[in-house]
Amino acid sequence: MSTIVSLRNVRKEFKGFEALKGVDLDVESGEILVVLGPSGAGKSTMLRTINYLVKPDDGEVYFEGQRLSTATLKELRKVRSKIGFVFQHFNLFSHLNALDNVAIGRVKVKGESWESARKQAMKYLEKVGLTDKAYNYPAQLSGGQKQRVAIARALAMEPDVLLFDEPTSALDPSLVGEVLKVMKSLALEGRTMIVVTHEMGFAKSVATRIVYMENGQVVEESSPQQFFTFPESDGARRFINSILERV
Amino acid sequence: MRGENISLSRKQFKMNQNVKRIVRKIFTAAGIVLLAAIFYLAIAKVYPFNWGVVARYKSMFLKGLLITFQVSAVSILISFGLGLIFSIMKTSKIEFFKDIASIYVWIFRNTPLLVVILLTYYGVGTIFNLNRFWAAVLALSLFEGAYMTEIIRSGIEAVDPGEIEAAHSLGMTNSQIFLSIVFPQAIRISLPPLIGQMISLVKDSSLASVIALGELTMMGRQVGTSSFATFESYIVVAFIYIMLTSVLSILGRYLERRMSLA
Repeated sequence: MSTIVSLRNVRKEFKGFEALKGVDLDVESGEILVVLGPSGAGKSTMLRTINYLVKPDDGEVYFEGQRLSTATLKELRKVRSKIGFVFQHFNLFSHLNALDNVAIGRVKVKGESWESARKQAMKYLEKVGLTDKAYNYPAQLSGGQKQRVAIARALAMEPDVLLFDEPTSALDPSLVGEVLKVMKSLALEGRTMIVVTHEMGFAKSVATRIVYMENGQVVEESSPQQFFTFPESDGARRFINSILERV
Repeated sequence: MRGENISLSRKQFKMNQNVKRIVRKIFTAAGIVLLAAIFYLAIAKVYPFNWGVVARYKSMFLKGLLITFQVSAVSILISFGLGLIFSIMKTSKIEFFKDIASIYVWIFRNTPLLVVILLTYYGVGTIFNLNRFWAAVLALSLFEGAYMTEIIRSGIEAVDPGEIEAAHSLGMTNSQIFLSIVFPQAIRISLPPLIGQMISLVKDSSLASVIALGELTMMGRQVGTSSFATFESYIVVAFIYIMLTSVLSILGRYLERRMSLA
């Protein structure tokens, strides 16, 4: 196993609010890392620093050994194309149908022709079970379908790692299952995934490691079994209890 | 069996609704024609309409229409181009471009078009030797271009920033993102107000009559004064403007339908 992502003392401030206060993290290839923590803990910001959608104020991010702070724009785009990102609000291109949403990355970034990119895109739509919606526009899809198209769009770039930023938080409860199912199947393929989520069931059953964040810092790192049965920090204990009580 | 009956009656219901709608529209139209006729006859009692004179000056109206059409068509193209360029400058990250675009919009949205036309013809026109036609085109293009800049800018800003972020996450370049994600959506969003602005441009071109450009309004005035049938002449002018702008509206509606998503 090799390290695919490393964060070293990453800091980020938004207008006086310290979102990240020096985060260190290593992710090995093949890991399913689930990031937990209360809202405002800096989980999404941390995830965005990995592909430099958010540029850290201080500290270093390494992707496959490459230091991003000194990378040129061209190198940065190359890195981003190897990192699949799935957003909370899907962020599908609303003027393109599902098929072209999946194909456009291959056309624009990999220089493939539309014809062959669409052929490939169809395979990825098949993977998420949406070939019948290929010619529908995002506005004609349900939230769960939109998120599955977004996952197919990320997969179509053949990324080395997939980042998920609360992929089910904006969904109707009845639509969460279909998205989690796709994510589970990806995990079973042995893909490297970093998942920010509030889905405890997914964290328990799929994660190979849990990272617990609070106030812009990583507070705890452990296996799912250990995290859910013997959380070390008070914060984690409170967090788990608050989630369990919610039922 | 039952379901079939229901869907059949629903279909009939819908058809009835459509028939009712069309009948209503016919009644409305008939009502308006009737009112206009009463109005016309009432006026005709005190003002002797003389349409024969107007018909004799047909060629002048046609000449006016042709020039209005030419000035408007060229100005629409140039003002749209200016709108594109300045809206891109206004939404760019470079402060200098933003300032230039803001000053352009500020000047031309705060000057009356009539004054802009006079300035371009008697000011710029005398220095650079512009004829009436090109002075009018320059004035109209600069003036309407400022409005189009604002329309397209708001279209660009209406594109979901999340989509731009997603495009970055795929590894696309800034220019790819602008051309294939932002721009197509911005144009679709701003199409209805853009068409509205183009219609304004056609109507505003009548102001070019002050620099004696022989467009429709000027021709109408000439026909009116030389034939003494002023009222008739301006009615014809108004009618031609309505026809001309209606063509634009119809074209706009067709484009909107073509560009709408599925």
